[in-house]
Amino acid sequence: MNEKVIISVCVGTGGMAAGALDVIKAFETELAGRGVEAEFKKRCEVHKVGCRGFCAKDVLVDVTAAGKTRTYQNISAGMAPRIVDEHILQGNPVMEWAVGPEYATFHGKQHKLVLAECGIIDPEEIGSYMEHGGYKAAAKALLKLHPEEIINEIKKSGLRGRGGAGFPTGMKWEFCRKAPGTRKCVICNADEGDPGAFMDRSVVEGNPHSVIEGMLIGAFAIGANEGYVYIRAEYPLAVERLKRAIGQARESGWLGKDIQGSGCDFDIRIGLGAGAFVCGEETALIASLEGQIGEPRPKPPFPANKGLWGMPTNINNVETWATVPKIINNGAPWFSGIGSEKSKGTKIFSLVGKIKNTGLVEVPMGMPLKEIIYDIGGGVPDGKKLKAVQTGGPSGGCITADYIETPVDYESLGALGSIMGSGGMVVMDEDTCMVDVARFFLSFCMDESCGQCTPCREGTKEMVRLLEEITRGEGTPEHITMLEEICAAMKEASLCGLGKTASNPVLSTLKYFRHEYDAHIFEKKCPAAACRALINFRIDENRCKGCGMCLRNCPQGAITGQKKKPHTVDPDKCIKCGACLDSCKFGAVSKA
Amino acid sequence: MAEITLNGKELETAPGATVLEAARAAGVDIPTLCYHEALGPYGACRLCIVEASGPVLKPSLITSCNAKAADGMAINTESPLVVKTRKILFELLIARSPRTKPLLEMAARFGVEGTRFKAAQGEPDNCLRCGICVRACTGKIGASAIVFARRGQGRHVTAEFEKSSSLCIGCGSCANLCPTGAIRMLDEGGRRRIFVNERVISDLPLVECRNCGRLFVTPKQADYVNAKTSGQGRPSPGDLCPECLRVSKASALSGLPPD
Ligand SMILES: Cc1cc2nc3c(=O)[nH]c(=O)nc-3n(C[C@H](O)[C@H](O)[C@H](O)COP(=O)(O)O)c2cc1C
Ligand code: SF4
Ligand code: FES
Repeated sequence: MNEKVIISVCVGTGGMAAGALDVIKAFETELAGRGVEAEFKKRCEVHKVGCRGFCAKDVLVDVTAAGKTRTYQNISAGMAPRIVDEHILQGNPVMEWAVGPEYATFHGKQHKLVLAECGIIDPEEIGSYMEHGGYKAAAKALLKLHPEEIINEIKKSGLRGRGGAGFPTGMKWEFCRKAPGTRKCVICNADEGDPGAFMDRSVVEGNPHSVIEGMLIGAFAIGANEGYVYIRAEYPLAVERLKRAIGQARESGWLGKDIQGSGCDFDIRIGLGAGAFVCGEETALIASLEGQIGEPRPKPPFPANKGLWGMPTNINNVETWATVPKIINNGAPWFSGIGSEKSKGTKIFSLVGKIKNTGLVEVPMGMPLKEIIYDIGGGVPDGKKLKAVQTGGPSGGCITADYIETPVDYESLGALGSIMGSGGMVVMDEDTCMVDVARFFLSFCMDESCGQCTPCREGTKEMVRLLEEITRGEGTPEHITMLEEICAAMKEASLCGLGKTASNPVLSTLKYFRHEYDAHIFEKKCPAAACRALINFRIDENRCKGCGMCLRNCPQGAITGQKKKPHTVDPDKCIKCGACLDSCKFGAVSKA
Repeated sequence: MAEITLNGKELETAPGATVLEAARAAGVDIPTLCYHEALGPYGACRLCIVEASGPVLKPSLITSCNAKAADGMAINTESPLVVKTRKILFELLIARSPRTKPLLEMAARFGVEGTRFKAAQGEPDNCLRCGICVRACTGKIGASAIVFARRGQGRHVTAEFEKSSSLCIGCGSCANLCPTGAIRMLDEGGRRRIFVNERVISDLPLVECRNCGRLFVTPKQADYVNAKTSGQGRPSPGDLCPECLRVSKASALSGLPPD
């Protein structure tokens, strides 16, 4: 038999943090030390692969032997010997360490297109990408297609930008192609500033060549010779993989002069971002690449006419670029066959918050939210009720459990007052206070506002203050009026997308959770029992056994009571830390 | 040239005019804070919003300072949406700078008195972040002595490293242009100091006029002017102040003695 044994270890940021490099070393030592290859006359290889999404269970390891692949979860270096022993040598997989049924359900309903090769290929080797069809699309585009045919194909495919606004990609390319000027450039936006988002990072870490290939095709179609990837410095692994990939692409003739004899010159440089959310906005990003302060400027002129150093510039998101080779390979009809009426293809989401299967998922556009949350995400943990799903990052909105059947695409989310954004999806359960959620997202925008324009700089600050007062029980009906008026002014009058959309979390919670605002304002109550100023801890005298646990745990000495007699909380001393609630074994402590 | 409708009246604009320029030429008052004729549009204060609709544009708010007037545009500078939005902008600015007179006066001119929002406490901050000083210093003077530092709430005008500037030439353009007086220039005790609110951002020595003895220029500014004018009859350290220069030139022309 000459069939190989392959051990694939996840080396995404999640995997690395969980100790993937130690795991790799352990397997290599183990295999070499025992002479497994010689004994078996089989090649044994340890591969590094990108993230496959199920980050909660890292380090994930695939072992392929005897033609079958088994996935192990939560693997550490110390577990390698037993896997080599039992699985590889004796052919008995270590079932107790294998992934459970939720791994299959997690992947079952997904449609991996951009992420298809993530977790399979070695992101550090161009050869591995080529083996899986890499650069085939680029070869076809550069050697067989006319730039305008490429643009038409992208237009026909219905691909829309994955970075937020969902602008048709083919149209954008055409603007830039037609813009006067001989020096043009393309930019990949890998700034990914939304809190909790890691789609773009995973693509760059898991399959950097797909982004390079997409940019090459786009540059050829547009007539650009320069490319830049603007990536945040907080993604060191992605930056390193990208650098390596660019180097390998140059060596293999996929970047540089006269690429593959096509006459096309194109090269890519990397620009590092310093982690300002606003630098993801295209004009701010361009300013930052130019070495200026990363602040948006008014549009027009649009980058397609006057972008980086005045060049006509086309800027797309990581995921958008990585989708391009797939379309060129498989054709526009194939791509537009996936997804819904007006939103084609797939979208990657980072599924986080109160959800069982935290991770990265790629689904066809138009999949009902319900399927993403329950079938893929496994639902809300601890038997809690789903309250809302926040999509679109800090400038998105909340969708209530009542709208769980909503298909996830640009139009449907927009109709509910939310946005697709770049793909953040935060699941919230009954313990989440929606006023507090609005306050959280708004204070993020307040901190990240560049401060240039009046509505955003002053408006976010004022709204955070109003929301804070409401969560403290100091709100009045006038607070709601003022919030609504500021929201409207910010939407209408802000200079850039940050300010224009910053009010979305407030508007959507006001729309769907007005009763929670009212409870805070009129009854001075937080229905989710989350706002500290409005909750009280109480001990149920029928349930309290007088064990004294809470009394010993209270840092304030706010609890009194004799042994074996019901205890009580002194509300004046209580700082609402919840230590009593956590320590009571009899469920006697409650908050309300 | 463009034919537009401004508050219901049809008119023709000057070639290449912005909506703001067209409105001002027609005597229509639009408030602006960050716009300055000499510096051009900046688009930051957003006070100059107007409602525009046109052949391709659906009715929406645009900033008139940086929008070119285009054929068929219909502009309303006092639509309910403009008035409502502008009121919030004024109220937000007044909350930041509740005692800044020029701001209060401008707001009052557009019917906004006071603010419902929480007025800032503590040291008064007259700076409205219009950026006129920064753009003049960098774009016109070329000194780049003052800049905006930090972002969001922390954004403020300052010199490098929050110290008194080593690049400032002491020309005082910033203080002259500042619409609120947040930047002040003070000549005192042989030195010229420039303040943002109460903080010193520049502190430079002054030199005397060789004739009248008045302290009138910083050596750096004199060098700057000399460099710009190739030293033609302009002040240099130990030279004449503008007044004495004028008198001396006049007397040379008329042949009469200076006094
Ligand atoms: C405040 C703000 C932050 C943004 N951040 C990102 C980002 O992190 N990544 C991104 O791709 N686009 C971001 N965008 C959208 C970009 O401005 C731009 O629309 C996008 O990169 C275009 O690419 P696409 O057409 O492929 O979506 C942001 C926009 C705004 C207003
Ligand atoms: S909307 Fe906010 S982030 Fe955008 S330019 Fe204005 S202040 Fe800056
Ligand atoms: S004057 Fe137009 S934005 Fe300030």
